[in-house]
Amino acid sequence: MSATTPVGPAANTPPPAALVRSGRRHARVSAGTRASGASRPPGRGRLTRPERIWGRIFIAPPVLGFALFALAPLLFSCYAAFTHWNGLSSPVFSGLTNFRTMAGDPQFWQSLWNTLFLMIGIPIGLAISLALAIALNRRMPGRAAFRVIYYLPGVSSVAAISILWQWALNGDFGLVNELLRMVGIDGPNWLAEKTWVKPALILMGVWKGLGFSTLLYLAALQSVPRNLLEAAMLDGAGAWRRFRHVTLPMLSPVTFFLVVTGIIGGAQMFAEINIMTPTGGPEFGSATIVWYIWQQGFQNLKLGYATAMSLVLGALIFLVTAFQFYLNSRNVFTVE
Amino acid sequence: MRRRRFLTGALGAAAAATTAGAASGCGNLHSSDPDVLTFMFRGSTEERDVFARAVDVFIRRTGIQVNLISTSVDQYATKLQTAILGNSTPDLFYLEPTRTMAYVTNGVLADLSQYVDETDLPVDDIWQAGLDLYRFDGESIGTGPLYAMPKDVGPFSFGYNKTLFEEMDVEPPDPDEPLSWDEFLDRCKALTGDRDGDGTTDSWGNSVNITAELHSYVWSNGADWVDEDARTVTVDTPEFAEALQYVVDLREKHKVTPSINESEGLDGYQRWLRGQIGFFPVAPWDLTLYRTLDFDFDLCPYPTGRTGTSATNVGSLGIGVSANSRRPDRAAELAMFLSCDPEAQEIIVGQGQTIPNTRTRAKEWVKDTSIEPQNKQEYVDIVEDYGHFVPTSRTYTPEWLDTFFTNIQPVLEGRQDVGEYLKATQPVMQGFLDQGYDQLRIDQEANS
Repeated sequence: MSATTPVGPAANTPPPAALVRSGRRHARVSAGTRASGASRPPGRGRLTRPERIWGRIFIAPPVLGFALFALAPLLFSCYAAFTHWNGLSSPVFSGLTNFRTMAGDPQFWQSLWNTLFLMIGIPIGLAISLALAIALNRRMPGRAAFRVIYYLPGVSSVAAISILWQWALNGDFGLVNELLRMVGIDGPNWLAEKTWVKPALILMGVWKGLGFSTLLYLAALQSVPRNLLEAAMLDGAGAWRRFRHVTLPMLSPVTFFLVVTGIIGGAQMFAEINIMTPTGGPEFGSATIVWYIWQQGFQNLKLGYATAMSLVLGALIFLVTAFQFYLNSRNVFTVE
Repeated sequence: MRRRRFLTGALGAAAAATTAGAASGCGNLHSSDPDVLTFMFRGSTEERDVFARAVDVFIRRTGIQVNLISTSVDQYATKLQTAILGNSTPDLFYLEPTRTMAYVTNGVLADLSQYVDETDLPVDDIWQAGLDLYRFDGESIGTGPLYAMPKDVGPFSFGYNKTLFEEMDVEPPDPDEPLSWDEFLDRCKALTGDRDGDGTTDSWGNSVNITAELHSYVWSNGADWVDEDARTVTVDTPEFAEALQYVVDLREKHKVTPSINESEGLDGYQRWLRGQIGFFPVAPWDLTLYRTLDFDFDLCPYPTGRTGTSATNVGSLGIGVSANSRRPDRAAELAMFLSCDPEAQEIIVGQGQTIPNTRTRAKEWVKDTSIEPQNKQEYVDIVEDYGHFVPTSRTYTPEWLDTFFTNIQPVLEGRQDVGEYLKATQPVMQGFLDQGYDQLRIDQEANS
């Protein structure tokens, strides 16, 4: 939050109503920045020739890297998606064949649906991590230890976590079913049953992402201006209303960031699936779209088709992310 | 053309890596020195050591330098394909038989026929089945020019736990005469029980790995996955249905194999290693481990269905030579050397992970009673007599067979009727098989 907040007697403190939901984009430049910007207008003419050259040299590696490893493959993919290409010899132009195949490919749609279903874990994970962050934001013994413990999965290898969970979700001796047994529930055979394989993967995903989300929420909680909370309290707001109308809106940028990155990451889920259910799960129940793209491209020599699916996936991610940005722009909270 | 292909390859490799997140780099797969051969293979540390020793003999004998590049089994296929895309195919590489048709059609593999004709190495002594897997005439596998040397042949034999048979007082199977399905079921029932009396079953007659073992039951019942020229899927026959039903009943009706839950907890392989399973596949690559087990085991033929003849598959891994190798003659020499040179075979077979690649050496090996198991003749019988090629090694892509196993779970759990499943699956499999042949035709036209 870049807006300057008045500091002074409580009577002069703007009430929580000053948190404004606006449809307009807000200038995120502070007065100080504007002033300094005005005194030093940017301009090409202010740089000397050697400075410009050095500037270009410094930006060359990332620009070249992007062009070579992102832009060129992307452009090539745009062409390859319209070809019959097996990855062993040159592509042969095939028009819209790949896209027509995709439209009638039940496994493509199922893997897309599976991917979407697994994203249920995003709001669940956010809710739990927010609760955890609130808990860890209090002064309590062992607070640092808890923070480290929750963050550990975030720095662990995906392969190791997947193998660990493969055992934890074991139908007979797995930890999950052992815990369920303690409360009298006979747990399912998680990874071998079509109904339960996706919830099992969601469970693992939530556990894995908890540390990172909690950490970000914790940082955001600690930067909620205290004067706003105090002002709300003086206005008679209870704990829940303070949380609902002050804390939660102030956390919205972090929530937005986590939702966007969660959806992008969720759409690219691969390693966990390939390790835990290497054949795409019972009745293709856990095959994600990226796993299916990999299988088609590298197992079945259909790189043209795989590339076409990648483009569609990329377009979908772009559209969803753009829509999220649009929604976010209508829900920006600032302090005026 | 070369330039276009290079550009396509380079961009393609980058695109493929970006597309699939295949971040494993290629490394130096293509030596800049034409006199140095690169050989890419997969396997464990032990296998790498064995091959390094065999290659050392080759280097000593010929003076040709060889760079070994080993990868894990999981990464191998993706890494090799990325290398091919990037036009940096190693001079020699392991070839899965299921890739032979595609690699030949797309000009990845060199024809080894002329080098085989000219060599002094005992190539003629190699198992016929091992060589036929890598022959392709443009239409079918098994005939035409030779495109790879078998690194090994893998007869997927059946075996049994002798100790458990004695403990449960069950008559062991005859090493030569296969059991009928009924006799096999009786033995399995007798082997299934609660040995320690704690109220739970702790020994089973069998444990079927459906993707690896269903072939045996299907073939021995007179059915097949595809017709003779591998153009039509034939899973919707009564013989096929009977074979699948028999396998399903072993678990669901007769309870002579661990249940799905029991298998998920500790799979059949682990239970076999713990001495809890009576009959189980004993493939050559498992022998090193099996020889360390607490129980005695031996080989026997797979039980037979309607045909009265045992059946199973013969797998293999080949050593192919890149069509772009700058020294294909030397690369072919190394491939042939590893495949059949007596000294190389001594090193490779000595570790017990493979059966000898040559008939002469196999004859001595079979008679050697100091090497377990005793009935090694079963391996030879499979390779020479009753072994079949894995179905996907005869088709352009494996997708049609994958489809069969993707949705089979309800059948295995008895929730879906076998006949109904096969009837519904056949057209889907046929669709994928046809797609594979369409792909072959397009690739042939593009590469002609």
